[in-house]
Amino acid sequence: MQSILSRDFVGGIAAIIIGTFYLSLAYDLRTSALDDIFGPGGMPRVYGWAMVLLGVTLCIVTVVSRWGKDTPGEWKGQGRRIAWAAGLLGIGIGYLLIVKSLGYLISMVLLIAATMIFQGERFSMRVLATALFGGALLWALFVFVLGVSMPPGLLTYLGL
Amino acid sequence: MDTILISAGYLLDYQIVLAALIGVTWGIIGGALPGISPSITMALLLPFTYTMEPTAAIVLLAATYVGAEYGGSVPAILIRTPGTNAAAATVLDGYEMNKQGKAGLALGISLYSGVLGSLFGLTMLVLLSKPLAAVALSFTPPAYFALGILGLSVIATLSGDSLIKGMIAAVLGLMVATIGTDPVTGGTRFTMGSSDLLGGIAPVMVMVGLFAMSELLAQASDRGPSERVKSRPRIEFPSLSLAKRLLRPQSIGGVIGTFEGVMPGAGGTIASFMSYNEARRWSKYPDEFGKGSPEGVAAPETANNAVAETALVPLLSFGIPGSNSTAILLGGFLIHGIVPGPMLFQRSGEIVYGLYAGLFTAAIGLLFIGMALLPLCIWIVNRPRAYLNAFIFALILSGIYSIHNSLFDLSIMLAAGVVGFLMRMLKFPFLPTVLGLVLGYLVESSFRRSLVISGDDYAIFLNDRISLALLCVSALFILGSIGKRIWDRIRHNEQKTFSEGTDG
Repeated sequence: MQSILSRDFVGGIAAIIIGTFYLSLAYDLRTSALDDIFGPGGMPRVYGWAMVLLGVTLCIVTVVSRWGKDTPGEWKGQGRRIAWAAGLLGIGIGYLLIVKSLGYLISMVLLIAATMIFQGERFSMRVLATALFGGALLWALFVFVLGVSMPPGLLTYLGL
Repeated sequence: MDTILISAGYLLDYQIVLAALIGVTWGIIGGALPGISPSITMALLLPFTYTMEPTAAIVLLAATYVGAEYGGSVPAILIRTPGTNAAAATVLDGYEMNKQGKAGLALGISLYSGVLGSLFGLTMLVLLSKPLAAVALSFTPPAYFALGILGLSVIATLSGDSLIKGMIAAVLGLMVATIGTDPVTGGTRFTMGSSDLLGGIAPVMVMVGLFAMSELLAQASDRGPSERVKSRPRIEFPSLSLAKRLLRPQSIGGVIGTFEGVMPGAGGTIASFMSYNEARRWSKYPDEFGKGSPEGVAAPETANNAVAETALVPLLSFGIPGSNSTAILLGGFLIHGIVPGPMLFQRSGEIVYGLYAGLFTAAIGLLFIGMALLPLCIWIVNRPRAYLNAFIFALILSGIYSIHNSLFDLSIMLAAGVVGFLMRMLKFPFLPTVLGLVLGYLVESSFRRSLVISGDDYAIFLNDRISLALLCVSALFILGSIGKRIWDRIRHNEQKTFSEGTDG
């Protein structure tokens, strides 16, 4: 079983799931008598079926080509890799959750510091200074140089 | 001649000159960072171009591409780690020269070969783009549909070791392109009731997510130590006799780079390795290759810089991005509501001429900025990865937010990053997804409009001569790629893989 559960097989299964979900939505699209012959749902249905069929083909090709062959180590360490990536993603999501209330400047300082520490730096004055400097630099660049309206958050209380 | 004269006028536009020089600077720094490909370097800039004047924005992105191709050779020569995929061929002899104490000369050859390659490629771009676009002016809706199919047929050569996986990736892009408003009836599709999705998903969010965010996630998941540059070389240019010797490999690199650049899907990596092989074949000193031959640095560096210019030919003439970097450049055009392709020269000629002037400035600027930036490149390459990644992450989030002041855009970008990370893990190529996304609208709207015009007669696609010709070329492209795959399999050759989407 381990030999079949290769990256290609998992990719094929993912394609089937995505295609099926997309197809279910495509068949729910409303049609009108004024639509052209293909209609708004025509292409989506073609894409959905193509995705499902390609997914099935990829699974079959993988099973046939790998049947009886052992592929040791293909997934070795991948769980740990996904966990590390999820950690960084979590920092990004955390930023999304706080940026409106804390504001861009404070959130950016926290994001830079959190990312550096997550990537293996120990918390130190250097990390703190880099985060403060980086946050202030980006804030000045976007707000004053580029004129972008970044979320002010707590800075509104300071009149900034 | 008119093109040159009009373009020369833009050399006096300070915005274009400034954008070209900033782009080259950014490109050299980005290209010098291992793992940060030209496309990622460009993707990081993409959100900033939103508020810029369109010509300057396009020049900024194109000049970044030029700079990144040279920047990739710096770590290739100094730490045997190519900053870009296209610089992988430069490692072979560049690093050997470094070991012999000739790092400065290797960097000098790389730099001036890059400048020559850029100028040669620019000449070819100017000569080829307009005539091709003129042909495309007579396009009808069926021809546009066929053009979209031709663009999608590039997938056959971009799918790495599995054509099926490339096609799945392309269909995924086509699916994303259907989100939003229907191109013919104006009804909504797949918006899940969200008003944020009514306008569809902007390609820039997906591109930055797929290329840049997924690279950050991949780097976060890889905790290995990174190499450091220990030497402090100064750029040294070759003597006259050596420069004469390098003319042949540079010519080979220029010609191969032009050919590979114009061919959608080929790219700088193939061009640099092909030119390296051909330079060795035609060299008077073939035994020196692999042991620190200056010709082995000159040929690939000329080729990959020529590709940076000629890869724009299919983009400007037909609107087809043949590589990751030109796909990002297409994103830059779309941000400003400009559609590259047959009508570009008619409707937005000033952008094309400004782009030519910007690329010329970038090529010349590369020489001086490349020399000046070497110490900075070495300093940045030696920074801890944690610091670099934190700043890139901050830059991505800030840049994407600044486009529409929308947190929803950030969510889309992060989601695209996750998809990109999983695609890397499962070894699915990125570029087909981007092609599907940017060509999906063209394919669907042209197909359905053609049917409306013809009264639902599918023969319209065969009766239109241009459409028929383009569909035949697409079929040849696909069959040729499949034939090559079968041939390679029989001969047990490995397919060039683009799975991680890091090729220029």
